[in-house]
Amino acid sequence: MWPEILPLGDQGLLVRFSRTLSDDSNRAAIAFARRLRDALPHGVREIDPNLVSVLLRYDPRTVTFESLAGEVRLLLSVAGDGGEIAAAAAHRIAVRFGGEEGPDLAAAAAALGMSVEVFVAQHNAVPLRVLTTGFAPGFVYCGFHPETMRLARRTSVRPPVLPGSVLFAAGQTAITSTAVPTGWHVIGRTAFRNFDPGASPPTALREGDRVIFEALS
Amino acid sequence: MSGGILIRRAGPATTIQDAGRFGMLEHGISESGPMDAAGFGRCGAMLGRAGAAIEFSQAGLDFVVEGIECRAALAGGAFTLSRNGVAHPWPSTLELRAGDSVSITPGPSGNYGYLRFDHELDLPPVLGSRSTNLVAGLGGLSGRVLKAADRIAFRGEGEPVAVAAPTRPGEGSLRFVWGIHADLFPAAVRERFLAGAFVVSSRLDRMGVRIEDRDGVFATTPILSLVSDAIVAGDIQILGDGTPIVLMRDHQPTGGYPRIGTIISADLDRFAQMRPGSALAFAPVTLQKARELFVASVRP
Repeated sequence: MWPEILPLGDQGLLVRFSRTLSDDSNRAAIAFARRLRDALPHGVREIDPNLVSVLLRYDPRTVTFESLAGEVRLLLSVAGDGGEIAAAAAHRIAVRFGGEEGPDLAAAAAALGMSVEVFVAQHNAVPLRVLTTGFAPGFVYCGFHPETMRLARRTSVRPPVLPGSVLFAAGQTAITSTAVPTGWHVIGRTAFRNFDPGASPPTALREGDRVIFEALS
Repeated sequence: MSGGILIRRAGPATTIQDAGRFGMLEHGISESGPMDAAGFGRCGAMLGRAGAAIEFSQAGLDFVVEGIECRAALAGGAFTLSRNGVAHPWPSTLELRAGDSVSITPGPSGNYGYLRFDHELDLPPVLGSRSTNLVAGLGGLSGRVLKAADRIAFRGEGEPVAVAAPTRPGEGSLRFVWGIHADLFPAAVRERFLAGAFVVSSRLDRMGVRIEDRDGVFATTPILSLVSDAIVAGDIQILGDGTPIVLMRDHQPTGGYPRIGTIISADLDRFAQMRPGSALAFAPVTLQKARELFVASVRP
């Protein structure tokens, strides 16, 4: 019975829309997160949207799991299927593809049977959606590319890559804002930083936002 | 001059911790906060008003008071304490004067201890907290561990602290609630998890504690490919090679390894204080039981 409502520890309630990542399950998670942001249920201290789920962290002194689960079921019953995500912010991200900034670009393009030029054009052809945030400070996953742009991760993990690295794998493009190790293909770099600890909130991109990648020459 | 302390010696992983940086998970920042929240709270209750804590690890901490009279409390674990060469019991509250030298050295038990003053530490809150997050390099003193020759100034009085309940540290099995991937483990593995002999390994830090699985309970668990999902402190995650690791206060915010369970809030401080080599057993409890134990553990 989807979505599942599960305990995550004794202060967390996870609403999981699927066990696999798909456009539908991600849209459903985003739509539900937005609904929660509009009206946070009683006793909920924090929400954390993920690729196919939303975590609600609650105070067990204020609310029980069972009563919160009931409230969540009610919200879900009127939340719709998430097919349409209402008016999302759009962000243009300028990327320098290839070269020192994108050491895996040529290999990624070749693996997909494309020239670098065609790969970059395909990559930037349509706006992507921010699938989720939160793997590391300011880190975002964007998707989905069409099947022709689907490439598995590298077989080895690179030591931490520079902030602003643009990563490509699994039909997605990710942007780093801090140094993180990665098994994804590093295809470029941007000056954009989705993390400023002095700002409130500290990140600019939110799940469901649209991202338009542009190539800097 | 506002006064403060000069660190003379700091063991590894000495950090600043307050109650934690709540509400930042979606931005990719875990909560941090004290590894032993009860020890941190006890330290504050001993003073009535307290600022953020210095959390030190097994090796302890030496410091000198500069330019101020103050009260300090030391609690959490069991360390060896002296002031100006004179031994004091653990835990202790000390009236300190400028020039006093305090030495905290290894004691019989525990991994983490807390030092708090009746003053706030003059360190800027970052995203609402002074806690050091070593993974993100945020908070505390420039987002890093403390070391010898660091100076920390005081700034005004500490915040009022509620008197803590008498501590019942608990003993025996670590209690957990089954996790978001428990159903992916074969029933036989789940059963053996409850009967297995586990030991705290020497690979532990604020991010996680690796567990030795001496009976090889998870040795044959196939590597599962999972959609990355939210992590909370206490999650018992099984790595690809079968190593269990309990994710702690500076945990990564999301992860794709299967999680069989989550240590309950009421037992997490006790787990954090278990030294390498300590034997472990895991016992499942209902969510309702976990809630009762949590509410009892935080009631003032």
